[in-house]
Amino acid sequence: MITLMLASDLAGREVVTLGGDAVARVKDTVFDAAAGRITGFTLSGRGLLAGPLKQSLPFSAVHALGPAAVMIPSAAVLDGREAVLGSDAAGGGAVIGAPVITDQGTEIGTVRDVVVEAGTAGHVIGFEIAAHDNFDARRRKVFVPRGQTLAVSGEALVVPARARHFVADDLPSFGAQVEAFRAGARLPEADSPPSGPPDSDIPVSGEGDRA
Amino acid sequence: MMLFTQTRGLPVITAEEAATLGTVDALTIDARTRSVACLRLSGAPKDRAVLGWGAVEAVGHDAVIVRSRVAVGAGPDEVPEHRDAVGSRVLTEYGVEHGTVKDVGYDPGTGKILTLYTALGDIAGDDLIGLGTYAVVVRAERH
Repeated sequence: MITLMLASDLAGREVVTLGGDAVARVKDTVFDAAAGRITGFTLSGRGLLAGPLKQSLPFSAVHALGPAAVMIPSAAVLDGREAVLGSDAAGGGAVIGAPVITDQGTEIGTVRDVVVEAGTAGHVIGFEIAAHDNFDARRRKVFVPRGQTLAVSGEALVVPARARHFVADDLPSFGAQVEAFRAGARLPEADSPPSGPPDSDIPVSGEGDRA
Repeated sequence: MMLFTQTRGLPVITAEEAATLGTVDALTIDARTRSVACLRLSGAPKDRAVLGWGAVEAVGHDAVIVRSRVAVGAGPDEVPEHRDAVGSRVLTEYGVEHGTVKDVGYDPGTGKILTLYTALGDIAGDDLIGLGTYAVVVRAERH
């Protein structure tokens, strides 16, 4: 089973050494230019009034990204800020808020958050999208797997028009869908997870793709 | 097996003089060796407040026995910084919370940590990786 997390939830997460000492908190998550992977984290201090730290945490040094903490081998792996915030910092940081456009040219919403996988890989699994009415009148937010996106930049996220068939309502059902997707199974036309909230199993198939 | 909570409060008595040096206040774990490094005593003079595990002859249900005042000496040269394991938060190496440590079971002969007891299940002492100010870190199955 894969555990999925929202990048926004990583902010404030404790950075803990395998020796059991908390050394910092996550301030921001930095993605590579194509938003395919986590490059690293900028850090802030742990106190109530602590400000940003000069150090950052490259993802290559992370032992594991967990739901309760980001585990690192020791405090020695923390690096200067430039190790994470490279020259393309702007491109990596501006995924959230970017418009989501189908390959048919319709804007269907904006990127609200990035879904990442717990563990050691730091892969971006998908995106949470604040959907416009013309994409999905029933739901304000939907999840789109990254495998269904065509291209990402700081300016826009382009998804296939049929991406509507791959959306999910909440993170657990999205996780199940991503697993099915990885297992090579053909994704169902309708996004109806059996364990979703009551209003989530309204099938959206049969609407036809909007050009 | 003895528990940390059973050991706390036991008197420390020398075998040769039958004198009480103090009572056990806390046990300090060395996470690298996964064993008890020293006992911290209350009611003992300040320079004798730390009792190295090497000086301990026996840990029973009613007392901790050391050979003599002389054998105890001035305490061990080097002890790991004391962190209370009991009550500490438990994290797996994958950053997943696993409750808090309720008690620690150890071998009274060797001082080896045998089991960490948490509300979410027991953890073998061999899985202990680190013990710091923030958490006890334990090895975990990848899932």
